[in-house]
Amino acid sequence: MAYYLIQALNAVSLSVLLMLLALGLSLMLSLMNFINLAHGSFYLLGSYVAIFWLAAGLPWYLALPAAFLAAALAGLILDRYPLGLFYQRTHLMQVLLTYGLSVMFADLMRWGFGAEIMSLPMPDALRGVVFILGLPFPLYRLYVIGVGIVLAFGLWYLVERTLWGAAMRACVSDRRMVETLGIDTRRIFTVAMVVAGGLGGLAGALGGGLLSAYPGLDEEVLLLALLVVVVGGLGNMTGTVLSAILTGFITTFARIFLPEFANVISLGAVAAILLIRPDGLFAHKARRV
Amino acid sequence: MKLDTIGVTPFTISRRGILAGGSALALASAIGAPRIARAAEPLRIGLVTSLSGTFTSLGESMRAGLQLLLAEAGNEMGGRAVELIVEDDQGKPDEGVRKVRKLLSQDKVDIICGVISAAVALAIRDVVTEAQVPTFISNASANALAREAASPLVFRPTKTSWMLGSTGARWVHDRIAKSGGMTLGADYAAGREYIGDFVSTFQELGGSVDEQLWTPLGTTDFAPLLTNVAAAGPEFVYAFFPGADGVRFLQQMRDFQLTDRVKLIGPGALFDQEDVIPAAGDAALGGVNTFQQSPDAPNARAFVEAYGRARGGRLPGEASTAGYVTGQVIKAAVDAVAGDVADKERFKRAILDQPVETAMGRMAFDPRNNQAILDIFVNEVKKDAEGRPFNTVVHIYEGVRDPGPQA
Repeated sequence: MAYYLIQALNAVSLSVLLMLLALGLSLMLSLMNFINLAHGSFYLLGSYVAIFWLAAGLPWYLALPAAFLAAALAGLILDRYPLGLFYQRTHLMQVLLTYGLSVMFADLMRWGFGAEIMSLPMPDALRGVVFILGLPFPLYRLYVIGVGIVLAFGLWYLVERTLWGAAMRACVSDRRMVETLGIDTRRIFTVAMVVAGGLGGLAGALGGGLLSAYPGLDEEVLLLALLVVVVGGLGNMTGTVLSAILTGFITTFARIFLPEFANVISLGAVAAILLIRPDGLFAHKARRV
Repeated sequence: MKLDTIGVTPFTISRRGILAGGSALALASAIGAPRIARAAEPLRIGLVTSLSGTFTSLGESMRAGLQLLLAEAGNEMGGRAVELIVEDDQGKPDEGVRKVRKLLSQDKVDIICGVISAAVALAIRDVVTEAQVPTFISNASANALAREAASPLVFRPTKTSWMLGSTGARWVHDRIAKSGGMTLGADYAAGREYIGDFVSTFQELGGSVDEQLWTPLGTTDFAPLLTNVAAAGPEFVYAFFPGADGVRFLQQMRDFQLTDRVKLIGPGALFDQEDVIPAAGDAALGGVNTFQQSPDAPNARAFVEAYGRARGGRLPGEASTAGYVTGQVIKAAVDAVAGDVADKERFKRAILDQPVETAMGRMAFDPRNNQAILDIFVNEVKKDAEGRPFNTVVHIYEGVRDPGPQA
C-alpha cells in the first residue's frame, strides 16, 4: 500500500515537472499561435541561473524569482528582435527561426557556462526526506509538486479570470478587432512572450534539482515538452496539464513494471493516443501551415 | 579537308599546356626530392575526440591531458617536432569515420589516437586497419576490440569493460557478500558489458545476483527504481550509468536516503573524479569502484599536480589521464624507434617489447591483441584532507589481463 502511494507520488512529481516544461510552450502556442523551439534554451538558462545563484550563497527562496526574471528578460529581448516579426508568419517560418536561435543559444551557453554537468547546490531547508508510511520520499519533490500546482493555478487564473487574459485570448481570435477597441496588441504579445519565457526559466530552476544542467539538456527537455503539448492538443492549456499527468503516470508505472521497455511503453502510449485522436486529447482549431 | 577544321591548331601556349608542364615539373621534383628531408618533417598525430555532443566534457579533458604531455615533452618525440591535429567526432560513429578519413587523406597523419565512444572506435577500426596506420584507442572500453575486432596496428592503452566488471565481482565476493544483491544498469552496450561481466564473474566465484534491473539511456527520473531498491533492501548494488545519468542517479539515491543504507559499487566511470564527482558532490561518498585510473595512484602523483596547475585546481579523471597516458605510450614508442614510424613492424615491436611507466601504473601490452595489461585500482570515495570527495585507493589488483580472443 505504502509502496504504491510512494510510486504515485513519484508519478505526480514527474507529471508536475513535465507540466511546468510544457506550460510555457503551450502558452505561446495556444494564446499566441507561436511555436517556440527555443523554449528548451529558456529552461537551461533558468537552470544555470538557479545553480549560480545558490552557489553564490544567496537566499534560496529568491532563486526561483531570479530565474524567472532572467528568462523573462531573455524573452523580452527576443520578442523585440526578431520574434515580434514572426507572430503573423506561418508555423514553418517560426520553427525555422526558433530552431536556429536554440542552436545559437546552446553554443553560447556552452561557451559561457562550460561543458561539465552542473548540479544544483541544494539548500538545507529542502534536503532530506519525509517518511510516508515507512518509505522515504524526498522533500524536494514535494516542494516541486507544491510549487508546480500553485504555478499552474496562477497561470490558469491569469489567463481565464483577468482582463489581460481575456484581451490575450481575444487577440488570438481576431487581432484587428481588438485593436479597434484601442488595446495595443503588440504590447499584449510582448507580455505573453515575457511570461512564457519566464515560465520556461522557472521550470528550469525547479527541474535543475532533479535533472542537473549540461549542454544538450535543452534539446531533451524541448522534446519532452513538445510531446506533452502535442498529446494534450495544440492550442489548449487544460489539455497540456492533463497530458502531463497522463504521461507522468504512464512513464512512472512503466518504469516500475517493465523498466527496460519504459521508453517504448510511454512513447507507444503517446503514439496510440495520437492514432485515436490525431489532434490530441483536447483538439482546438488553430491556424496551420 | 583543311587542317584547322579538324582541330589541329598551330602551337601556342595553351592552358592545357601549362597544366601538363607544371604537373610534370612538380612530379619530377617530388620524385627527385631527397629522402633525408623526411626525418626533419614533424610527426603528425591526429586526436579524434568528442568536442560536442554528449561526451563534450570528456573530450575536452582528453585533449587537455594530451596537450599537457606534449608541453612537458617540449613538443617533440624521437627527435621530431610534434604536430597535433584535433578533430571532433561529435560522439557519432559516422562523423568519427569521416574525420579519420580526413586525417588520413588530407592531413596525412602518422598516428591516430583518442576516441571516447565505443561505437566510434568500432566504426573506425576497419578504416585504420585498411590504411595501416598505428592507432591508439585512449578511452573506448568495448570488449570486442580486444577479442574479435582486434587489429594488428590498433593498440589500446586503457582497460576493457571486462577488467572492471570482473574485478568488481572479485571485490564484492571477497569483502561484501558471497551472494545476493542487485544490479542496476543503463540499457546500452557499455552498461550491458560492465554488468554482464560482473554477473558472470560473480557466478564463476559461486555467487548469484538476486535481481537485474535495466533502464533506458537518458533516464531522468530514477525515483520508481530507487523506491524498488528501498523496498528490497539488497546487500549491495552494482550499478552503471554514464555521465549525466550517473550524476542524477547518485543525487537521487541521496535524496531517497539510500546512500548510507545500501553499499554501492560500480565501474570507475560512475564515480569519475573529474566528470561525475564535482557535480554529484557528497552524494558520491561511500561508493566503491574498480578503475584503471585513480587520482590517488602512486604513479599518478606528478600528473595530478601538473594537471591541477594547468587546469585551475581540478583533479583528473579517466579522460584526462587517458589522454596523458596515450601521449606517454606514443612518446615511449617513438623515442624507441628514433622517430622513424614508417617501419610499422618495428614500431609495433617497440610498443610490445618494453612496458611503459605511465600515470596508470606500469603498462605492458598483450601481443595477442595489443591490449594493455593493467593494474586495476579499487577506489573508495572518501573525504580528503580538504573535505572533498576523493577516490582513495583501498586495494590494487595487479596485472589484470583481458581473456582475449579465446574468450
